[in-house]
Amino acid sequence: MRERYNELRRMSWELPQGKQKIMVMEKMIRIADLYMTEEDAYQTRISYLTAASEAGASEKMIIAFAWCLAKFEGNPGKYSYHELLWYYKWILGAIWKIPEIRLEQIESLFEHFKVMSEQYGYNLRAYYHKQVNYTLSIGNFDAAAKAYKLWRTIPRDGLADCKACEQNLFGIYMFRIDYIKRGMQAMKPILEGKLRCGSIPENTYSQVLLPLLKLGKYEQASKIANKAYHMIKGPEYLSEHGKFLLFFTVTSPTKAKKVYNETIEFALDSKVGWDRLEYFLCARFFLTEWHKKKRKIQLVAGDQVTLAWLDQEIQRISQAFNYRNGNDYIHLFIAQHYKNIQEIKDAYPE
Amino acid sequence: MNNMNFQVNLQGIIDLLSNHLYSDPGVFIRELLQNGIDAITGRKRLGHTFEGQIKVELFTSTPRRMSFSDNGLGLTQTDIELFLARIGSSIKKENLDTSDDFIGHFGVGILSCFVISEEIVLITRSAVSEEGLEWRGRPDGTYSLKTLTKKVPIGTTVYLSAKPEYEEYFEYYQVSNLLNKYGEYLPTPIVLSEDNYNMNINESSPPWLMSKKEAMEYVERTDYSTPIDIIPLHSHLGGVTGIAHILPYAVSLQDEKKHRVYLKNMLLSDKMSNILPSWAFFVNSIINTTSLKPTASREGFQENDLFHAVCDELGVCIKRYLIELVDKDMDLFQQIIRIHYVSLKTMAVEDDALYELFIRHLKFETSYGDMKMDDILKDHTTILVTASLDEFRQIARVAKAQELMVINGGYVHDLDLVRNLTQVEPHITVEVLDILKFSNRFEELDNEDHALTQPFLKYASHLLEKFQCQPLVRWFEPSEIPVMYNTNQEVNFFRLTEESEKVANPLFSDIVLVIKDELYEKPYAKLCFNYNNVMVRKAMESSDLTLQKASIELFYTQALLLGNHPMGPEELRLMNDSLLHFMNRGFENANGALQ
Repeated sequence: MRERYNELRRMSWELPQGKQKIMVMEKMIRIADLYMTEEDAYQTRISYLTAASEAGASEKMIIAFAWCLAKFEGNPGKYSYHELLWYYKWILGAIWKIPEIRLEQIESLFEHFKVMSEQYGYNLRAYYHKQVNYTLSIGNFDAAAKAYKLWRTIPRDGLADCKACEQNLFGIYMFRIDYIKRGMQAMKPILEGKLRCGSIPENTYSQVLLPLLKLGKYEQASKIANKAYHMIKGPEYLSEHGKFLLFFTVTSPTKAKKVYNETIEFALDSKVGWDRLEYFLCARFFLTEWHKKKRKIQLVAGDQVTLAWLDQEIQRISQAFNYRNGNDYIHLFIAQHYKNIQEIKDAYPE
Repeated sequence: MNNMNFQVNLQGIIDLLSNHLYSDPGVFIRELLQNGIDAITGRKRLGHTFEGQIKVELFTSTPRRMSFSDNGLGLTQTDIELFLARIGSSIKKENLDTSDDFIGHFGVGILSCFVISEEIVLITRSAVSEEGLEWRGRPDGTYSLKTLTKKVPIGTTVYLSAKPEYEEYFEYYQVSNLLNKYGEYLPTPIVLSEDNYNMNINESSPPWLMSKKEAMEYVERTDYSTPIDIIPLHSHLGGVTGIAHILPYAVSLQDEKKHRVYLKNMLLSDKMSNILPSWAFFVNSIINTTSLKPTASREGFQENDLFHAVCDELGVCIKRYLIELVDKDMDLFQQIIRIHYVSLKTMAVEDDALYELFIRHLKFETSYGDMKMDDILKDHTTILVTASLDEFRQIARVAKAQELMVINGGYVHDLDLVRNLTQVEPHITVEVLDILKFSNRFEELDNEDHALTQPFLKYASHLLEKFQCQPLVRWFEPSEIPVMYNTNQEVNFFRLTEESEKVANPLFSDIVLVIKDELYEKPYAKLCFNYNNVMVRKAMESSDLTLQKASIELFYTQALLLGNHPMGPEELRLMNDSLLHFMNRGFENANGALQ
């Protein structure tokens, strides 16, 4: 069975990030669980965490992490605590995106992570960083502002994201609270090429497109979009694909069609409510504009994804979030999205 | 408030720049060559008529020494104070936008000499001055400057004396290799001299100016393999001319690319990986640019907008070549596809025009064997594609017997390539195969047979429930296959959730349950019994329940084994028990017959 495992591992290395790759890895985990050592099963799951995240399957990442955490807690000296806490951070970045998971469950995880971070000698910078995105997502802007302040005050340590990622998130935070110019200021060192990492500037490019359009900097936005949309591939970037789709819907319908055809399947495969919602909102705008003209070209998944279907999905997911959050913030979030679209359309020089 | 200046630890800065900026001590040759060439360019700009030359002379003294001379612009005392003795200043920086004839401009190049030499001595006379100057720089940051009484020719000579551990960089073979490496294609003559023996370094013409035939021969000489063809490369934006030679052997997507890149005819890097798009991994290139900006270490380019635009433009050259090749030389095109199909598949996924060009020529694994898409489309307008190799293996043999065209989408890009087929062949129907519904395509039994098989199925359903496996019965070819076991990959994920559920701490166990129950449906595998198989019929018709049980368990575990599915302890036990049961029966019967 070791041979079969190795054969699957070779195959997984060759496959691009996505569904096929994680399926192969799930089989590897099964083999490791049945016929190999606990360490093998642990390390295979650790590799699977990245693959699942790259495939946009956060829920699968959580499942594998739960097992790793249990094994770690059973024998803390056996596995790296830094590695485990690092992935725990990923879990906190993903858990609130699933509306089926209750707030008290999410908050218990945050609390647990906080205790573990301190227990293993880290400060709470990473904790507050993750709090910002979570509290923003449930519309608790006061808590987000407090967490943001603490995140920036506490010094960086071994658990903090890399400088480029953090800088990018500073910018995103500003955009989320509608401080566009300050957000652009935060993104400046990244756009100038002074800060970069594995996922930056790719992520930054998608984040600044719409703010730039809002600021009337069409030329710059267009330049970034044309350069960047080749760089972002695969299901991991569902939210980014949505932003490009929205941008090109306004600026270049042909490119928008290409982005849509390449990415709609990722959204249909996703089980993560937040990612689907963000993408579907952009897809809805694209389809509305697309059908304003008579089109002969059939879109990918055209039979399933109609405007009516999208409205139903958006409605279903937002209700699930509002129910979970105990407020109607998602309605405000969607209203803000439509307002943004209007501003962008107004700013675009036709 | 007083404005104050930072204090700089000069020795530290020199150490940093000279020992850590560059990856190879040999780069001092490149830096000196570059300064020499730029000085000659500068002097020509003044309108002087002269034959530019760079001369490198080696002395077999102890320690070993070397001189590096050019007959270029030279330096005045002010130049020396402003530029040579001030790190980060460059004489070539003043008109950065207009001074595009120069190769360097960071003002740190000369420091690379401190890696191999204890001291730098520079004798110079400016083209606009009569006096000769001697500058001595030391790695502790101190220097001395004096005016020479003796008359020296216009130009600059740098004297270096080897640190004991770097003597080899002063050996003839080493210096000639380095001069050749960096300066082979520079337009200014370079002469290397030792003991009155002179050798001209740069007499050959660069590959980017060669005819196709010459370039083929050149690559053969340097790479020891004959390329399939040469693709000319041009980028107007980046002032690039070059060649890409198509490798005669397959390369992996993961192999690091090593393109040879020259900046204004001087070698910048012979292992640059990203100057061509990532899909172009079937070619190696040699290119020369006049416009891209190097990084401070001069081992790569600044990856700015221009760089990305150039990369795209070079990609277009390769695409255009392939498009034209289809009309010009179909045999060559086919040969390229045969060797580099992985690369071409990657290209086809990226680019609609290339997709249309390639798709009919690409090979896929199908239920009828390996076939070109062109041949697939001759006989089939409906195509099924599996999402994984495993799924393909489960049904390939049976699919052929049903005359179904199923393509294995499990290899890199194949699923996307097949799925996009309808965009260029609208009359074709492509369906991603739902493996669990595959057996629904088989012939259903008539009412009478259906009724007969029900008790057996009910029993099988009861026995296999704990393995999340649902039985059904159909009539299908080939008759020698008794059962077909189909599982989609969610089954493995479901097992994963079960494992997590068993061990997770209380915080996570609830969350695991939510994901398992609310985000996913419980997946069932299907075990389809073939009513066309004699053994299956016998098992169904048997009235012996223990025999039926053993048959069902053996059919199930045998199917797992054949499909390479991992078996849990319970499934292994089933297999053993059922086999032993049949052995026992066999012996009992044999003994009974004897008695």
